Formats: sequence, structure tokens, C-alpha cells
Amino acid sequence: MRVWRSAVPAFVGWQILLLVTSAQAQEPAAGAANPGRELVASKCFQCHTDAMFRDGRQDRRGWEATIYRMVGRGGLWTADEIKSMADYLGDALGPNAKPIGPAK
Amino acid sequence: MRELVTRYLSNGISRRGFVKSLTKAGLTMTAAQSVLGSVNSVSLAQAPAAAPTVPAAPAAAAVGAVKSFQGTGGACFAEQLIASGVKYVFGNSASEDAQFYEALVDRPQLKYILTPHEGPGAAMAAGYIKASQEPAIVMQAGSVGMVNAIGQIFNAFKEQTPLVVYSYRTDQSRRAGRDGFEEIPNQEQVVQPITKYSWMAHRADMIPETVRRAFKAAWTPPYGPAYIDWHSDYTEERVRTDIIAQDQLDPRMRVRPNPDEVERAAQLLVEARMPLMIVGDEIYKAKAAAKAIKLVELLGMPVTQFRQLWANFPEAHPLWVGNTPGGTLASLAYPKNADVVLNVGNKLQHNGAAPIVPRGPKFIDLRIDFNSIGNVMVTEVPMVADVGYGLDDLIAAVEGMLTPALRQKAAERAEEVRKFGVQARALRGQIVNSPDWDSAPMIADRVTYEVAQFADPDAIIIHEAGSHAIHSFDFNPIGGRELFFYYGGHLGSGVGTAAGVKLARPNQQVIALIGDGSFIFGPTALWNMARLELPVIVIIYNNHAYGGPHSRVINNVPSGRMVQTGHFVHDYLGNPDMDMAAIARGFGVDGEIVRSPGELRQALARARAHTIEGKPYLLDVQVGRKGVGWAEKPWIPPIQVASLRTKKV
Repeated sequence: MRVWRSAVPAFVGWQILLLVTSAQAQEPAAGAANPGRELVASKCFQCHTDAMFRDGRQDRRGWEATIYRMVGRGGLWTADEIKSMADYLGDALGPNAKPIGPAK
Repeated sequence: MRELVTRYLSNGISRRGFVKSLTKAGLTMTAAQSVLGSVNSVSLAQAPAAAPTVPAAPAAAAVGAVKSFQGTGGACFAEQLIASGVKYVFGNSASEDAQFYEALVDRPQLKYILTPHEGPGAAMAAGYIKASQEPAIVMQAGSVGMVNAIGQIFNAFKEQTPLVVYSYRTDQSRRAGRDGFEEIPNQEQVVQPITKYSWMAHRADMIPETVRRAFKAAWTPPYGPAYIDWHSDYTEERVRTDIIAQDQLDPRMRVRPNPDEVERAAQLLVEARMPLMIVGDEIYKAKAAAKAIKLVELLGMPVTQFRQLWANFPEAHPLWVGNTPGGTLASLAYPKNADVVLNVGNKLQHNGAAPIVPRGPKFIDLRIDFNSIGNVMVTEVPMVADVGYGLDDLIAAVEGMLTPALRQKAAERAEEVRKFGVQARALRGQIVNSPDWDSAPMIADRVTYEVAQFADPDAIIIHEAGSHAIHSFDFNPIGGRELFFYYGGHLGSGVGTAAGVKLARPNQQVIALIGDGSFIFGPTALWNMARLELPVIVIIYNNHAYGGPHSRVINNVPSGRMVQTGHFVHDYLGNPDMDMAAIARGFGVDGEIVRSPGELRQALARARAHTIEGKPYLLDVQVGRKGVGWAEKPWIPPIQVASLRTKKV
């Protein structure tokens, strides 16, 4: 038997940039305003580091289900916000997205 | 005289009755008044007019304050347990405790519950104590039993449960000191860092005194576990000793806060732009939730809670803004601009470098647990007190300061908080819109939701479901659904805790929500449920994996070789899959495997039918593995002994 650590990683600013920058590079219109990306950066990174996302590869539906799991943990987002985040993550971190690579 | 003073100080006798008894005992009226004056001056730190909000220390039943007793050490042990108010002894068998078992035969008021493993046995004792707020003891066979119980002693230490633990030591007269069978040096020191008191009785006639001190230490706030032992030949030795009622030793640690600090705290609260209250387990222990409600309603103050054992505030109250989801106040969606934070009874267990309450807001900390006040957070106003008395005094001080303008401001703030609460409730309710909602195997959130729809309005929910979120229950410590969370984090406590809670609260529905990994650490209390006819509903979230450690390992080594190859050595519990319903049947508990939402509803109905008949029931609910890096059929390390076998034996 052992103690089960239930860590919630702290916010680390540079890691957000890593995700946003890496994901941005794969978008057709790099640099354009993307409400989904901004929502992920502002909402998800209150509790998670980018490490929780970097290795995730799933389609939009999978990301949407993931976001709804966070609703059960206290995440408060409107249906539109959930849709925007799922759209963005499904594009940027879809099944065929290239690996982002380890943090430096 | 001492007993009379004790009764007066603990509100067991009125002032008039106290004086009358003194004169009846032969004192003049002048002398009696003088005694009264002295006693009152001693009791200023207490509250003679108000009922104590923390339960009194365990009281003796049907014995005088001091009784001379002659018998074996084991009989002395039993007599003192009775005098300390103990009804249940949770234990695993030890031949060295024979004289104690012998003493139980003619003392039916002391009931022994045989637990087939020391860990779940200790969890059952702790569950009983937490649900009844009454004393109990758990005992094991020497050092070997003690080490099995250490995990639950750890939990009791972290959650501040007054669990008293005993195990014998190798006998002094024949064997001790040779590094002999099952002997370790300084046995009681093994648990010293995780107990409030660990002590060995040095003579047989000191057994009762050692027992009393253990209960005193455990039940003096802030609560915590205590450990005692003695050489096993003391249990056999015949001695004469005093058996003393436990209330004769209670230091009555039910203190009021410093009035100056109360004034400072009240001033900060009434002048705050956006005050915020954090609630914690001392509120539950002091039964002070109604007082917390009164204070927040006076101030229009939002309420949140960090990880605790219990839910300490009604979650349907308009000023409740939800549990804080992350490790610090920054993760709270609302309010974002708290300028004064009042913590009432939350130990604020850190799990990161950042202080839970950031440096900006002024911080008021009201707790009896003086040890942890000021350790991390800068504390503007420390208030060491029983939180019930502290809230009483804060309420009185705030009421005295509130002007009509301030009341108006508080009302406007309350309305703003209420609007947030309505919106947050609607947003939380969206969980049913998950695209996986109807999937089979189920998502954990669907299981939780269905159980929440099913549970009685005053159900007790034991939660040891790993990293699965708990939601939808609307817990309410004032007559509603109660939560018993696995705060300590040593797993294997859930089944035992549920059994102990049901023993203490036989007339409330008890539902245990347990992850498969947690369950398999401690299922043996199922046998206690079957034998004692404890009708608990046990629900296993069975994803055949350690889901939490899987995700956190990826978080710790992102994009590493584990992710690239899918070779995770530490997390997959399938192939072969464990059948928890079959395990339950082995312990005498009926159960079934559940695979879909439709099956779950029908299975819950069967579970209810079983509990109505006084029988426990287990649902082995198949839950999908969710998160990064899970393959349909996870890889398992290629360790195969078959290729090494040269003999068919």
C-alpha cells in the first residue's frame, strides 16, 4: 500500500507559451486571433501545465469529452467556451498533429 | 469536591446547584461563595453559559470517578476502557492478549469486533469514531500487526482523528531484549512521528493510567491518534490499581478566542470590499455549520473549501461558490478580488510551492489547531479557539459594528454572489452534455451522477475513488448528505471506513465510492459488513488501472519514452481483469458487474433492496480508461516465467 499523490501542477507561464507557440505553428493562419487557444491558455493553465496537453492526441470529440471531465472537477465554462476550446484542441492536437517535443 | 467542580465547569450542574451541594457537604454559605468565586475565575477561558461545541472527552459509564480494582493486567485494561467510554474494540487476534479476551467474556458492554486485516480494521475504527464522535480502540498483534495498521494511523494523523491504538510488546520476563520472534526495539517509537502520544506502560498497574493518557491526548483538540503498548506479561500479571473515569482528566480544551483578535478580525471583515470564508473540518467536529452560515449571511460573504475530510458547508446555499479546484485560491473562479480571507477550521494542506492564500489579501485564521497556524501564510489575525466559540464571538462583534450602510453593502454583495452561484450551478449541470455520457464502459462522471440521483437525502458518501471527481451530491452537514473523503491519502481505507460509519449511523444510507486500485488494498472489511449485517452499498469504479498515477507520470515526464512507446510499467491492472463482485462473494457479500448506464440504474435498485433487508451489496462498475496514452489493450511488461520452466511442477 502507498500514498497516492493527487498533485495539481502549478501554473508555469513559459509552458503556456510553449503550447501556444507550438500549436500556432501548425495552424494555417498563424498569429490570427483564436478564441479557443486563448481560452485554453487562460482557463486550463490555472490548474495544469502544458505537459498535460503536449502528448494528448485525439479528435475534437475526444477533447470535448476531456473538457467535460473537467466540468466535474469544478471547471466553469459556458457551452460556447467549451465548443471553442474543443475546436482549437481538435485542430492543434488532433490525431495527426506532429509531436511538440519535450520542454527545454 | 473535585467531581462537583468538574460538573460545574462542564455545565453539568447550575451555579445554584453547585453552591447548594457545597453547603450540603458542610461548607458555610460564605465559604461556598468563595469557592464559587475561585472556580469562576479559573473558568474564564471557557463558556459556562454555552454548551460546549466540541464533544466532551469520553465519559465513564456506570463507574464512580475513581475505583480501586484488582485483577490481571488484561482485566485492568478492559475496566479502564469501559471507564474511558469505549464501547467497541476493533482487533486482530493476538495470543499474548489472552487475559484481555478473558476479561471481555464477563464484560458484554465492551464489544470486540474481529477484523481480518489490521489496516481495514483500523479504518473501521476510525470510521466509527468520525461518524459517532465517540471513543474506540483498535488493537493488533505486536509489532507485526502494528505495521499493518500504520497506514491508517497515518491517515488518522493527517485528518486529526482521535484514534487510540494498542499492541503488545514481547514479554519482559522471558524473551524481550534478544531480537527474538517478532520483536523490534522501541516499538512505540516506530509510530511516534505520526501520533500525538506514543508510550509504553512500565508496570502492569500502570496500564490503566497509560490508557487514560492515550485517550486524553487523542481527544484533546486538536485531535489525533495515540499509540500505547506494554510487555505482554503485564497483561497476565495480577495487580491492584485505580480505574478512573475519563472525564476526570479532560483538560477541557474548548477555549474562546482572544477578544482583542476578535475585534480586529471583525473590523477587517466589516470593512472588506470582498471578504471570503474558507471552511474546514473543525466546523464539522464542533457542529458549527449553522454558526458559519449566520456569519456569512451577516456579511454577504462567499464561501469555499479546500480539500478536507468532510463537506463543512451546505453546497446549495446561495453564498457557496464551490470547492476550490486547484491548489490555491487563484484557481477559484469567483471571487477573484477577495481582500480579506477568513479561514474557519481548515488545515490548508499545501501540495505546491505557492501559498494557498496568496500574499495579497489580509488573512484571518480561526482554528484550534495552533500548530499549523502561521506556518506558510502571513496571518494578519490569528485566532486560536474552538471554532464554535470563535464564530459566536465573531458574530457578536460583527453585529455590533454593522451600520445600516454596511448592512446594505453586505446585502448587495450577497446578491452578486447569489447570481454567480445560480450561473455556476447551471454550468456545472452541463456535465450531462459530455459526448461520452451514454458510453459503455461508462465514464466515471456518469457513475457519480447516477449515484447522486439515487442516494437518500441524508445519505453518507464515503469517497475513496482515486482521481475520479465527486459532484452532483449537494452535500449539507446540517441534516443532509454527508461526505467522508479520503483526506489522508493512504489507500485501502474506504471499505473499512464505510463499515465503521454504518456501525455508528445504522439509520442512514451509507454508500462507498471506491476506485479499483483503492479497493484492492483493503477489501477485508466486506467480511465485517456481512457478519455484522452492515447494509452498505459499495460501488467500485473499475477501470482496471491506476488512472491518476498514469496521467501524473505523463505530466512529470512529458513526451518521454513511456509516451513514445506506450510502455507504462506502473499503471495497468488488467489482463487478467479483477472481478470485484467475485471477490465480494468470497467475503459473503452479494454483488454484480455493471457495464452500462441502464444496467447501473437497475443494479442500484437491487442494491437498495439488499440494504433494506440488512445486507451489504457491491457493484463492480466497468469504467473506461480516459486520458493521454491509453491504448485499447495496454502493454504489459514481458515477464513470463513459462519460458523458464523446465519441469511441469
